[in-house]
Amino acid sequence: MNAPSPALVAPRPERLRLVGQRRQMLAVMHQRLMFGMLVYAGIVALIGLRILWLAAFGDHAGRKEGLTSLVPDRGDIVDRDGEPLARTIDAWTIAVHPGKIIGDKLEIARRLAELMPERTEEQYFALLKSNKPFFYLRRRAAPGLVEAVNALGEPGLAIQREPDRLYPQTSLAAHVIGFTDIDGHGAAGVERAFDKYLSDPATRGKPLQLSISSRIQQALEHELGDAMTTFSAIGAAGVVMDVHTGEVLAMTSLPSINPNTPGQGTPEAHFNRATLGVFELGSTFKPFTVAMAMDSDVIKSMGQIYNCPDALPAYGHFIHDTHPFGRQCTVAEIMEESSNIGTAQIADQLGTTRQKAWLKKMGFLDKVEIELKERGRALNPGSRWGPFETMTIGFGHGIAVAPLQLAMGYATLFDGGVYHPPTILKHGPDNPLQPGRRVFSEDTSYRMRSLLRLVVMKGTGRKADAPGYRVGGKTGTAQKLINGHYSQTINLTSFAGVFPMDDPRYVIVVMLDEPKATKETYGFTTAGWNVAPVVSRTVSRIAPMLGVAPNMNREPNMGEVLPFVHETKE
Amino acid sequence: MSGRSFHSLFMVASCAGAALGCYLVSLRVASERASLEDVETRIVLAQRDLRVLQTEIGTRGRLAQLERWNVKVLALSAPAADQFLGGSFELARLTRPETKVDFQAPVVLASAPAPEPKAGPIGQPDTDDAGAPTAQSPRSLIHEASLKTETREVPAKPVASMRQAAQVKSSDRPVTAAKPVDKISVDKPGLAAAKPVTKRVQLAKNDPLAPLPEKHLSKPSKDSAPAR
Repeated sequence: MNAPSPALVAPRPERLRLVGQRRQMLAVMHQRLMFGMLVYAGIVALIGLRILWLAAFGDHAGRKEGLTSLVPDRGDIVDRDGEPLARTIDAWTIAVHPGKIIGDKLEIARRLAELMPERTEEQYFALLKSNKPFFYLRRRAAPGLVEAVNALGEPGLAIQREPDRLYPQTSLAAHVIGFTDIDGHGAAGVERAFDKYLSDPATRGKPLQLSISSRIQQALEHELGDAMTTFSAIGAAGVVMDVHTGEVLAMTSLPSINPNTPGQGTPEAHFNRATLGVFELGSTFKPFTVAMAMDSDVIKSMGQIYNCPDALPAYGHFIHDTHPFGRQCTVAEIMEESSNIGTAQIADQLGTTRQKAWLKKMGFLDKVEIELKERGRALNPGSRWGPFETMTIGFGHGIAVAPLQLAMGYATLFDGGVYHPPTILKHGPDNPLQPGRRVFSEDTSYRMRSLLRLVVMKGTGRKADAPGYRVGGKTGTAQKLINGHYSQTINLTSFAGVFPMDDPRYVIVVMLDEPKATKETYGFTTAGWNVAPVVSRTVSRIAPMLGVAPNMNREPNMGEVLPFVHETKE
Repeated sequence: MSGRSFHSLFMVASCAGAALGCYLVSLRVASERASLEDVETRIVLAQRDLRVLQTEIGTRGRLAQLERWNVKVLALSAPAADQFLGGSFELARLTRPETKVDFQAPVVLASAPAPEPKAGPIGQPDTDDAGAPTAQSPRSLIHEASLKTETREVPAKPVASMRQAAQVKSSDRPVTAAKPVDKISVDKPGLAAAKPVTKRVQLAKNDPLAPLPEKHLSKPSKDSAPAR
């Protein structure tokens, strides 16, 4: 009981101070605890709000990105009817990472050689042992092969899908469409010319529509290929063009390539004869000379008389005809029998200056106008262009143009004399037809119809006639320049035709390079025997597709020319 | 006391309920959106598959392949100009029933009850149609018809060859009004001998569809001169 009771013992002042300090500390601790709790609650609330926000407005975890629209890695190319000519598809690719191989390399090499016999087992083994990080085993692999390689279960073998360019029509219009290199960039043709459009994400969703019609292209390629085989020609080219718009409906160059495997084509096959190659096309030029002369008032009538001897001496040379008249002949007869002598005199009357100006206006002195990058530049005598050259150019020698340029010239001549630049793109609401420029007068264009129809009805181009379709046109046989000399036996034959002649709508130009004579041609290698039948067959096939109705009762106004043709008694 | 003390609890509960309701709505919207996106993705995938299949079909049925089949098997060619029709009338004309001569049919002499011509020189037109109709033998009828071609008369041929020619030609000859006469002549040789041969029968000697004589075919026609 001697312990003092607290009440009785007065607390010592230091103790009281201690209590005060402790209370103060407690208050601070409470404050800190409170602050900590508030911060914690705030963070929890923030997280909760964020979750709520995300639940209400945010993306949910299962959302897939992309794949809301189908945009190919490279734009499609379609023909004028919407048929695909080039597409990008996902193809299986088999590759290998040699560093990541974990299995027995010899065994894998053996199995790979079984599956893909293009390399031997040793080659595969060498590849697998090499230090290269990655290489392709097979691109565009078939699904069965992919499955078999996958069954090997080797993680070092990479099987993936890669965008790959596919040309469903294989070699159809190969030179127009072109092909892509291994990186997917255009290397030739439209693929190269429109590479930016086809690869730009903004535009590649919409297919690029060409003016090419695949059915007409096929008809032209088939008939031309047939003729090339029959006459053992080394090459051929053909163009079908819309007279009124300049749209190229078909354009081919043979031999052709397969754009799916462009590496397999020879350099010869890669050469586009229709646009890049320039050739002396011979007599197919004569209608231009006559039209120029008509427009320049040199020829006033189809019955204008020229002296056509067996050989014409001119400026120190002699000009010959294959079938000399040996008499006086009219303009209609000169064209009908394709007389060099007559045309040379017309060209001489026209003169060098006027001829140059006309050819310039027609675009025959420049590069051919087309969107493709493979464009040839027409060749002409240049500084040597004298009066004799004027005469030879008059009948198509001494000037070299691309077959497309020739087609363009005929289109100009028969579109009422209005020039529209050739185009490979279809005209439509997005690509309206620009007004052309006038080259020939409408009257000349009209009068030329009957003249060219006469050539097919009675003259050198009789085999080009397709009954009912009123084909008009001109044959051309040019001697080829071999080692600096014109060969007497090796020819380059061409035919430029227009149909239907009473209201021209389409022009067709075909060319055979070095055709050989056959029994059916009785030893001849001239255009009337080998390319003219191609035109006849092609026109019979394509005209119904183009909406040209056959009609045996319609003809252009033959009264313009028939009175001036000397009829021989049969 | 109790109502006041639970007031705050009610408030908290109702707030929580409202928040939960809102959350459920948004969850529902989100799930709907997700399923919609799933559908869209499936559509795109289906489009991609379609594209692949179309490309495959297009590649397998490419024009060059069709052409090859046509050359090897089908041998179809472009229609000729005369195979096109101008309209429905030309089409209807094609369906005109073909009249065939039925040799088994009984011979009906439609002109048998014809009126007896007046006794006059043969060849004179009948003036009186209302004359008393009497039975007339077919022989006289035929005789009258062939008299019209009197000027083109050719020497009568032996009966056998005449008969052959008439039989061969009667099937592809166009139907004319003179048909019954031909039939009679075939059936009755004696009548055919009496009947002068008309020009048409003589024309039948040359079959228009037969190939031309060899000499025309073997040499190239003169008008196919080489072109330049």
